[in-house]
Amino acid sequence: MAVIFIRTLIIYLTLTVVIRFLGKRQIGEMQPFEFIVTLIIADLACVPMSDVSIPLVYGIVSILALFIMHQLFFLLERRGNFFKKILSGKPSIVIDKDGVCIAELKKNNLGVDDLIESMRSQGYFSLDAVDYAIFEANGKLSALERTDYKAEKTSIPLLLINEGRIDKSNADKLQITEEMLKEFLEKNDCSLSKTEIMTVDGNGRVYFQKYKEKYKILFFELKEGVEF
Amino acid sequence: MKTVVSVISAIIILIAGAIVENRFIKKQFDELNYSFSILYEKIDDETATEKDVYAVKEQWLNKKKSLHAFIPHNEIKEIDLWLFETAVLVRDKEWTEALSKVDVLISLSKEIPKTFSLSVENIF
Repeated sequence: MAVIFIRTLIIYLTLTVVIRFLGKRQIGEMQPFEFIVTLIIADLACVPMSDVSIPLVYGIVSILALFIMHQLFFLLERRGNFFKKILSGKPSIVIDKDGVCIAELKKNNLGVDDLIESMRSQGYFSLDAVDYAIFEANGKLSALERTDYKAEKTSIPLLLINEGRIDKSNADKLQITEEMLKEFLEKNDCSLSKTEIMTVDGNGRVYFQKYKEKYKILFFELKEGVEF
Repeated sequence: MKTVVSVISAIIILIAGAIVENRFIKKQFDELNYSFSILYEKIDDETATEKDVYAVKEQWLNKKKSLHAFIPHNEIKEIDLWLFETAVLVRDKEWTEALSKVDVLISLSKEIPKTFSLSVENIF
């Protein structure tokens, strides 16, 4: 019983550390220590239930050990910000008034495409639709909408340049060739390697952000017949 | 407050359970080890009868009902198997082979309780 209890504690602690390092992408609206309980409790209950050669007490001890650890973490988390930060992490501001904060995204093992996906699920289809976007400790995105956002008519923007790399499939959809893109960048006094993020929607509206600079809204003349 | 009480209660239940389990298993296997040792001596003297083995078997059957709650059933099966083989060998008066079987039983009765003790090799 004691051996199983200690083994469960070791696995729980290891999983907590790993999940914390994996970042917010792996968590679905739960704190890391809650996520782990959800992840393993079903297995713990199922194995002794279905395998009659394993005494039921093994499953019960493991489940009780998980319960104890969860409650202890819960109590620690409520004791103050220090423990909360260690156990659950802290919210990350991934979009501010200057644009997308790539460093914050990277800290959480996220990319611009993940951010765009999360924003879409919140009903925002453009990176400039919000003044602030925050990835909460539980992996959920909270956004503060720009006051004048709804007045603008936009179509779905596609990610064209992500940290200096062209997304060729999106470029094909928008019928933008590499030459057209380079010409556009030169016109805006930039190069591919200096471009952090560039999205273009079907109306040619561009969200353009150079490294360490505030984003700009520009216009890209798309070929005739491009509908998106 | 409710959380603290629930955690303390769970810890107390687990600690008490662990102590009871440890003592219970040790006691059961100590008794079995004693019976196996007597059987070993009798086989060594070639005075053991089938009745002696069945007496040990009877004792084991009574103990195994409660041991099922704590020990993986495969380990229990092993003792069943070795004990059954010993009975057949004693009946056929094959003393040397019977001795080796009881030797295994003695060893099992010493080793199984060890797997429940708190030690680095058991944890990892």
